[in-house]
Amino acid sequence: MAVDTSGPVGRPQELADTAGTTPLPRTTEGFSPLRRAFRYAAMPLFLTLLLLGLYLWVTGQQLGQVEQRQLNAPFITAKLVQHVRASTLSTILVILIAVPMGILATRPSLRRFAPLIIGLGNFGQAIPSLGLLTLIFLFARTVEWLPSTGIVPVVLALTAYSALPILRNTMVGLQQVDPSLLLAGRGMGLSNTGVLTRIEMPLAVPVILAGVRTALIINIGTAALVFLYGGGGLGELIFQGFQLRRTTILMTGAVLTAALALLVDYLAGLAEEFLTPKGL
Amino acid sequence: MRYRTKTILALLALLTLLAAACGGEPLESEGDGEAAAPATGDATATGTAGTGTADGGGAAEAGTESLDGAEITVGSKDFDEQLILGYISKVALEDAGATVIDQINLGGTDAARAALLSGEIDTYWEYNGTAWISFMEQEDPIPDRIEQYEVVRDAELEEHQLHWLAPAEFNNTYGLAYLTAAADDLGNPETLSDLGPLTEESPELATLCVESEFPARNDGLPGMEQLYGYEFPPENVTVLDTGVVYTATADRDPCNFGEVFTTDGRIAALELTVLEDDKGFFPLYNPSPIFTDEVYGQYGAALEELFAPISEALTQDAMTELNKRVSADGERPEAVAQDFLESNDLLGA
Repeated sequence: MAVDTSGPVGRPQELADTAGTTPLPRTTEGFSPLRRAFRYAAMPLFLTLLLLGLYLWVTGQQLGQVEQRQLNAPFITAKLVQHVRASTLSTILVILIAVPMGILATRPSLRRFAPLIIGLGNFGQAIPSLGLLTLIFLFARTVEWLPSTGIVPVVLALTAYSALPILRNTMVGLQQVDPSLLLAGRGMGLSNTGVLTRIEMPLAVPVILAGVRTALIINIGTAALVFLYGGGGLGELIFQGFQLRRTTILMTGAVLTAALALLVDYLAGLAEEFLTPKGL
Repeated sequence: MRYRTKTILALLALLTLLAAACGGEPLESEGDGEAAAPATGDATATGTAGTGTADGGGAAEAGTESLDGAEITVGSKDFDEQLILGYISKVALEDAGATVIDQINLGGTDAARAALLSGEIDTYWEYNGTAWISFMEQEDPIPDRIEQYEVVRDAELEEHQLHWLAPAEFNNTYGLAYLTAAADDLGNPETLSDLGPLTEESPELATLCVESEFPARNDGLPGMEQLYGYEFPPENVTVLDTGVVYTATADRDPCNFGEVFTTDGRIAALELTVLEDDKGFFPLYNPSPIFTDEVYGQYGAALEELFAPISEALTQDAMTELNKRVSADGERPEAVAQDFLESNDLLGA
């Protein structure tokens, strides 16, 4: 999502607000209402059909005792909740850590530490996800107050694994702000903090949000592995189906994970459109 | 030693047989009563090592040739016990004069199975319980060791022309284990039945770590709880990676009890105690070397004779010890296999 900084659009937010722009996202401006409606409805429609298809397929199968034990609403809901919990908690944690780090790394006084910070992010993502889970587990075993299995180490691992996209996008988002706008801000009498919060951050938001979206999707995919360290989640179904050669269980886990990723990507896309300062 | 003598006698018997221009009646070997000669003329001929082979629907009969010059590809799955078993096959077959192509450590059950069915490998060790539950998709195990083996052997011969030799003594099945040092805290349980009082009186101690498939299988947690008549509180059951279950049980974090495989080397290494399955619930997983029809048809008798004493020597204690040497002490599976065969006098040289 490229941000156009060439025109006079890079104004502080309240100026844009007074301009009385329509609340519709700019990407749909100019489209007919029908096309706009279809654009928003396509993904939910597709997911509904996908899940309906899965449901009909599973219920149409001859289910043995093993399948019945796993493919029921309470069990699947529990796994879904664990999955969503692990991936959202870790994404929130990443935002809390990586956005401030990204901001710090782009401050002129701290800019020399940028390679180090990016290096840490790279490190987290370069290790295979399973290896990172294992490393965190081994580390947590040596720390008295840190549980070695369950939600805590698992969220830590997901956080480390998905820090890079948010960190990098925060830095890129801030760096691509036109320097002349910063100078203009200073000229208007804004402090360093004022320039950051009123000029740089609003302009960087779309790019940061794109990073958040990427991190969320990474976390939902990786959360399929966290059952190995007591985190539960839909991966449990996938693995059970694989180990027990029960295709229905495997497919249910896999399709639900994919549907969850698509749904979250869709919602994050909406959030991106609505959270992007108007006028950008 | 013993086995080499047998081979020579078997060879002699074969020569006699040929010299006698293949008479229709089965021959008995002369001299040493211990060595039985392969009876070839008869259509229902069986192996010589005391394990009858099933009457195969169209499958080849036990072959009679010696293993000299045979070319056999040995495979295995990817965990320590399987590596050891694979190398036991390799070393024993080589010792008997065969040329062995090493395909040990192929991957999971599916990979090994597919390789055997496609003829990519000629043999690997498979567990009768795995065949019964995974390949034949049965949900409830047969509690009798011999019966379970025979049913699998017959079905495999019929359906896939695979030959299951006599099963090893040891049984690598599920078990529940706890840290030996924690025995006092947990009321010194010795059997699975002993956990009944614990789950009722102090459910907070009845914490259990399992791998993902255990709570789903009939022959896993649900069936066990049903037969023994108690239940672990559902919120106390944590699903973990197979390997992590052992460390988590040894750490007692997050669980006091762990689902283990009864011959796993980590039981001894981490000082865990396995609870006795006093009601005999868990299925039997005795492994047998399986051979393809092609190889068995040619060398069946020699193979039966070669592997029978090996399977007999692979007792529960022996296998647990071999696993420990590899999993915990870091010895090479090949060296451990060689050592096992030598120390049990199972090599001819």
